[in-house]
Amino acid sequence: MSLLAAAVRLPVFVRRYLPVALLCGWIATASAQTDAWRQGNDEYAAGHYKEAVERYESLVRAGETSASLFYNLGNAAYRAGDLGRAILNYERALALEPHHPEALANLRLVRDKARALELRSSWWDRAANFGTSSQYSIAAAACFWLAAFALAAWLLRRRRSSAAPLCFVFALLLFAGAVAALYGRETGQNGRDLAIVVGKSIEARLATADNAGTVLALPPGSEIKILNTRGDWIYAALPNDLRGWLPAQSAERVRL
Amino acid sequence: MKFLMFVSRARSLFAVLCVLGAISSAIAAEPKVTAVLSSSETAVGQPVQLEIKVTGTANPKPPGEFNVDGLEIQSAGVSRQYQMQNFNVNYSFTYNYTIMPLRAGTFKIPSQMVDAGGKSLPTPELTLNVVNSGRATSGAQRRGGGSGGGADVDASKIGFIEMLLPKTTAYVGEVVPVQVRLGFNMRAPVESLGSGLQIAGQGFTTQKFPEPRQTIETVNGTSYQVFIFKTAISAARTGKLEIGPAEVNPVVRVARPQQRNPSLPRDLFDDPFFNNFFNDPAFAPSMPKEIKLTSEPATLEVKPLPPNAPPRFAGAVGTFTMKVDASPKKAKAGDPITVTASVTGRGNFDRVAAPELNDDPGWHRYPSSDKFKQDDDVGISGEKTFETVLSANERKDKLPPLSFSFFDPIKEKYVTLRSDEIPLQIEGPAPAPAPTSNAAQAANPAPANAITPPPAPKPQEQDILYQLADRPAAAETFAPLYTRRVFWAAQLLPLLGLVGFVGWRLRQSRLADREAQRTARLQQEAAEVQRRLRLDSTAEQYFADASRAVQLKTALVRNLDPNVVDAASAASAFRLDEVRRARLEQLFAQRDEIRYSGAGNGTAQDVSPRSRREILELLESLRS
Repeated sequence: MSLLAAAVRLPVFVRRYLPVALLCGWIATASAQTDAWRQGNDEYAAGHYKEAVERYESLVRAGETSASLFYNLGNAAYRAGDLGRAILNYERALALEPHHPEALANLRLVRDKARALELRSSWWDRAANFGTSSQYSIAAAACFWLAAFALAAWLLRRRRSSAAPLCFVFALLLFAGAVAALYGRETGQNGRDLAIVVGKSIEARLATADNAGTVLALPPGSEIKILNTRGDWIYAALPNDLRGWLPAQSAERVRL
Repeated sequence: MKFLMFVSRARSLFAVLCVLGAISSAIAAEPKVTAVLSSSETAVGQPVQLEIKVTGTANPKPPGEFNVDGLEIQSAGVSRQYQMQNFNVNYSFTYNYTIMPLRAGTFKIPSQMVDAGGKSLPTPELTLNVVNSGRATSGAQRRGGGSGGGADVDASKIGFIEMLLPKTTAYVGEVVPVQVRLGFNMRAPVESLGSGLQIAGQGFTTQKFPEPRQTIETVNGTSYQVFIFKTAISAARTGKLEIGPAEVNPVVRVARPQQRNPSLPRDLFDDPFFNNFFNDPAFAPSMPKEIKLTSEPATLEVKPLPPNAPPRFAGAVGTFTMKVDASPKKAKAGDPITVTASVTGRGNFDRVAAPELNDDPGWHRYPSSDKFKQDDDVGISGEKTFETVLSANERKDKLPPLSFSFFDPIKEKYVTLRSDEIPLQIEGPAPAPAPTSNAAQAANPAPANAITPPPAPKPQEQDILYQLADRPAAAETFAPLYTRRVFWAAQLLPLLGLVGFVGWRLRQSRLADREAQRTARLQQEAAEVQRRLRLDSTAEQYFADASRAVQLKTALVRNLDPNVVDAASAASAFRLDEVRRARLEQLFAQRDEIRYSGAGNGTAQDVSPRSRREILELLESLRS
């Protein structure tokens, strides 16, 4: 209400031109982002891959995240010789669109080339990755409300039949399954803690010290799952069911 | 009386303690005998130490003199240790012997019988390998004394230090164990070891000293608290190296010099017993004193490694064995396979590199990780485990051998260990045929009429896909759907639907309840009317009740208000025939006639029994 009153007290000139100014600002921002996208593609076509990476990353910093953008960024990073970041950006594209065909194809190719190690997925991870988080969220909500309606119908019906409780139990089981799958997807192999090694010559160590014993050498693009963070070090689950510490700047989370 | 009870309880407690003590003594009194050599390998002229340790008995008898042809064995004294724990005294006697090899060979030190508390226990048989050493000296033991911090203290009487090297020749990089024994007279207890023990010298590296082992030894009738430090040195250059001396600046407590009053008579205090008594730090005033102990230096002749080292030799010197395993045994091409190679033995493990995979195309190898588990105090012997991740590019049925090269200083030659092939089952594309060299083609020229197959096209390297030109219309987010506000806002719709559904169901229920109540009320009234019809009543009352009964029955069947039911509606509701319809109309007419004509006033008229029966039969026949 106070905002409305303040708006009413604004001078006529401002009231008249403020929406126009806001619209112009929005158009200018959108135009700049379109320019950055086009410039990135132009730099890529011209073979200036590092410049293309900078253009695409400026879009990411501006908050424009999309599977296509990360896919293009991954291509540019690959051409620039940064296989770790190429894999990271393909993984980001797939985190947004799990069935992005080009990202899937390029990720497979670059991963083979980089000899990147992958986390071993359990049957639970594979089952949880059957759907996306959004699909599991919607399924869980639908099952929850179905169970709630069935329960209400069961409790408020004068002549109680067996259909409503059966429906209630079935919907409740589906709801629990959807929530479990959502939890597994969020905390599992491809969950929010998935990270990609982007540094070169990275070795996971037994302790948070550069001279500690090595656990596993991780080529760029290798998958890890961050378990804990301590200062400049992260403790992560590694491929081959190993665990170790590695410098925090050597890996980046897939999900921003 | 109380005193007697206390005495009785005390006796019981004492008896229990005695029994417990006897049990613990019986458990602890089991005598044991062990025998160890300070080194199982040595060279001619380089002595080793033999320790025979007897525990669990208070008065063991050491083995007598024993001789082994080719070895000169001499007793080096005995050290005793007593420890009280839980009312139990643990005895430990260590008999030390110095063994001087006189010639090369493998010697068996036979089992010796030790009389331990009436039992004869044998020591284990020990094996000593002695190799020739052209420059062997008469021993590497160097005992030295020291100098006191002041002119009034003789450090050599307070303690000693000796440095033991088992050999006088070594190869570059070979690890040579060093033992430094530091003894302090029990009358001069050591407070600290100052800045620690150091071995002077150049051209070699010394490992960090671990915590020393402490024992008590009696040498020439004097008890010493002995600290035994173990370390290892590794020569970095060839030539004659001077090792040591080992130096330490410990702080010990020494008796404070006493100022005797000259006026006192001297006879009493000149007695040696009292002198010893008052000079004992345990009884006399004492003060800390820093002394310096320095051992004799030792000489180590360092030889270079022979030329023509194997191509995979990385500087490992020692004696090693290797064991290799791989897991999983079944995989697909590209899957990681962890190869675990364990190198066990004695030597410079810091130069032990991961075993190499013998040349076999089709494998990709990732950098190895290693883990070392040492078996001794200084890390000369132990097991170094390498984990290497391999991935096959094509179908494989075995893991090729791994090889590891080192220099064996005993055999004085390079040794290359090769593991066995490990059977694997890796699914994948068949391996590409080996290219045929031009030389081979020249050696086996094809016949003139043979059809030469065209050369296989070189597989083109696969490249990534194209760049996407279209800018996406809308931004996407990594946040899962359930963390967004719009998701939870959308839940308001089914929530409102649920609330509406519940309200509708409640209203339906309430309406149904009202109808049920009305029906029950009508049924109750009908039953009451039926009951009155069977009683004696006036004609007016009787016809009124009969017609009311018809109305109620009709209202229940047709769900109507009973007051609006007349004869016609009742007859149609029950689909009566003409006779009963007429009878019903007559019943309603009689009721109205009596009610409105005033016939009911005055004298009450009875209804004949026949008429009552007909009316009751009519009412009974009203069924839907």
